[in-house]
Amino acid sequence: MSLLDIEDLRVTFATADGDVNAVNGVSFSIDKGETLAIVGESGSGKSQTAFAAMGLLAKNGRAAGVARFDGQDLLSLSQGQLNKIRSKDMAMIFQDPMTSLNPYLRVSEQMAEVLMLHQGISKSAAVTEAVRMLDAVRIPDARARVTMYPHEFSGGMRQRIMIAMSLLCQPRLLIADEPTTALDVTVQAQIMQVLSDIRNDFGTAIILITHDLGIVAGFCDRTLVMYGGQIMEEGPTHDIFASPEHPYTSGLLKAVPRLDREDATLATIAGEPPDMSSLPPGCPFSPRCGQLLDNCEAERPALQAAGDRRRACHLSVQEVA
Amino acid sequence: MLSFVFRRLAVAIPTLLILVILSFVLMYSAPGGPFNSERPLPPEVLANIEAKYGLDQPFWKQIVNYVIGVVTQFDFGPSFQYKDRSVNDVIAQGFPVTLTYGFWSFVVAVSVGVSLGVAAAIKQNTWLDYLAVGVSIGAQVLPNFVMAPILLLVFTLWLGWLPGGGWEGGQWNYLIMPVIALSTSYMASIARITRSSMLEVLNTNFIRTARAKGLPMRRVIWRHAMKPAILPVLSYLGPAFVGMITGSVIIDVFFSTGGIGQFFVNSAFNRDYSVIMGITILVGALTILFNLLVDILYAWIDPKIRY
Repeated sequence: MSLLDIEDLRVTFATADGDVNAVNGVSFSIDKGETLAIVGESGSGKSQTAFAAMGLLAKNGRAAGVARFDGQDLLSLSQGQLNKIRSKDMAMIFQDPMTSLNPYLRVSEQMAEVLMLHQGISKSAAVTEAVRMLDAVRIPDARARVTMYPHEFSGGMRQRIMIAMSLLCQPRLLIADEPTTALDVTVQAQIMQVLSDIRNDFGTAIILITHDLGIVAGFCDRTLVMYGGQIMEEGPTHDIFASPEHPYTSGLLKAVPRLDREDATLATIAGEPPDMSSLPPGCPFSPRCGQLLDNCEAERPALQAAGDRRRACHLSVQEVA
Repeated sequence: MLSFVFRRLAVAIPTLLILVILSFVLMYSAPGGPFNSERPLPPEVLANIEAKYGLDQPFWKQIVNYVIGVVTQFDFGPSFQYKDRSVNDVIAQGFPVTLTYGFWSFVVAVSVGVSLGVAAAIKQNTWLDYLAVGVSIGAQVLPNFVMAPILLLVFTLWLGWLPGGGWEGGQWNYLIMPVIALSTSYMASIARITRSSMLEVLNTNFIRTARAKGLPMRRVIWRHAMKPAILPVLSYLGPAFVGMITGSVIIDVFFSTGGIGQFFVNSAFNRDYSVIMGITILVGALTILFNLLVDILYAWIDPKIRY
C-alpha cells in the first residue's frame, strides 16, 4: 500500500471575480521512502496540491477528492485530527525560509514545541533533540546557536533549521515546497545535499515541489509534470528526461539553459500561463502547444498509463517532438 | 538597554524644561490674573498680595524661582486660589483619584479591546466578527462626554442602580460609571487595531509553519501570533494611558469624582498659575515616562529591536 494516495483532487478558491480552479482532478501516489518530484511553472497547482493534503489551504480554498495517508482520508479529517498527523507523520517545508520561522521566538522554542506537543517530552529533552537534529543538517555550533533568534541566521541556515524542525518527529513523508527557490545556487546545492542525506539516513519519503528541473534530475525517483492544475505526464525521472512523451515536458526541457551549447537565444514556450478561472475545455496546454491536433482544444485528453509512465496527450508517443 | 533608558531620561529633562517655559510664557501673556475679580481690590491690597506670591518680580526672575523650587525641593508652589494649600496638596488629593479610575479604565480598555479584536480576527467574516466590529464602531462614535450623560440618565435617573456622582474612597459603585465612560472609546480603538494587526499576522508564512507543525489553533494564536499582533496596540497604549488621565476632565465634571481634571479646569478659569503649571508638568512627565515604557516593552517583545 502506498503512503500517500491522492485521487481526483480538486482545489477551488472562491474569489470576488468567481471561482479559481487551481487543481483539477489530480491523482498520484507515493510509496514509503520514495522521492517524487512535482514539476510545473508558477500557478500550475503544484503547491496547492500539497497545501490541500496538509489542510493548509487559504481560508477561501476548498478541496474535494481523496487524499489517503496511511488509510485515513486527510480531506475529511477535522483540524484537531489533522494536528495529530502534521509534523508527526507528514511534515512540510516552505519556499521562503526568510519568513517561515517566527521572528519573535528563539529557534530552540520553535523546535522544542514540536516534540513537546507530539511526544510529550520535557523541554530540556526536546532542546537536546533539537540540537542533535541541527547537527544532522550541519548547522555549525548548534548547541550554542539553538537559543538564537531566526534573524541571526542566513537564508540557507534558516532553511536547514526548517528542515531540521520538520524532521524532529521523524515523519514518514516530507513535502518540500520549492525549498531552494529563494536561495542562491551554492546554498541550493547544500540544501539538496541535506535532503538527500536525510532521505538516506531516515528513509523519509519526499515530495519535492519545484520548477527547477536541474535539481529534480539528480534527486527524484519519479517525476510528475503539472500544467493548469492537471497532470500532463508522469514517470521515472530518468525516462521523462531522456524521452519526454508530452509536448509540455519536452518544451520545459528545451527551455533549460545549457552551458555546453552555443545557443544564441534561450528556448521558451510561447504564450502565457493559463487563466485558472477560465481554463479551455480541452487540453489546458492547447493554447500554447506547437503540435496541436484537431480535437486538442475541444476534448480533454485522459491520463493514460502505459507501463510505469502516464501521460495525458492526444498525440501518439512517437509524434511528440 | 540600560544606557538607552538613561539617555532617554536625560533627554526628558530639557523636554520638561521647554514645557515649563512654554506654559509659563503662555499663561503670563494671557490678560488678567488670579486676583482680578469683578469687584477690583484696592491697589495697595493687590500690591501686597502680588508681592506675597512674587508676582511683582520681573518675568525671568519668576520663572527661575519657579524652576529652582520645582527642581530643588519638588515644590510646585502655593495655590493662588485655595488658601493654605500648596499645589503639592492639590495633586496629592486629586491624583490618586484620577490614577484609580484611570488605571481601571486602562485595564478594562486593554482586556476587553484586545479580546474583542482577537476574537474578531479569528472568526473573520462571521457574526462574531461583525458584532465586534459593530460594537467598536459604535463605541468609537461615543466619546466620553456623550457616554457620561447617557450613563447618568440610564443608571442613575431611570434605573436608580448607581450613585450619580461622588467618590467615597473609590468604592466600586462609584467607580463603575466613570470607568465605563472613560474606557469605551479607547477600548474600541484597541479592538480595531488588534483585529487588523492580528489578521495581518495570521496571513504570514510563520503562522502557516506553526499550523504545519500540528499546533492547536489556541497555541498558534497565543504563542506565535500574539506578540507581533500586539506591537501596534502597544504603541497606541502609551499616549492612550496619558489620554485617560488628562481626558478625565470630563469624568470629574460629570461624576464629581474630584480628580485632578477638575482642578485643572478650575485653575484655568481662575488663573491659578501654579496649579496649571503643576498639573501640566505632571502630565508631561507621565507622557514621557509612558512612551519610554512602551519603547522598553517593544524591545522586550521584538528581538530585532536593540537600542
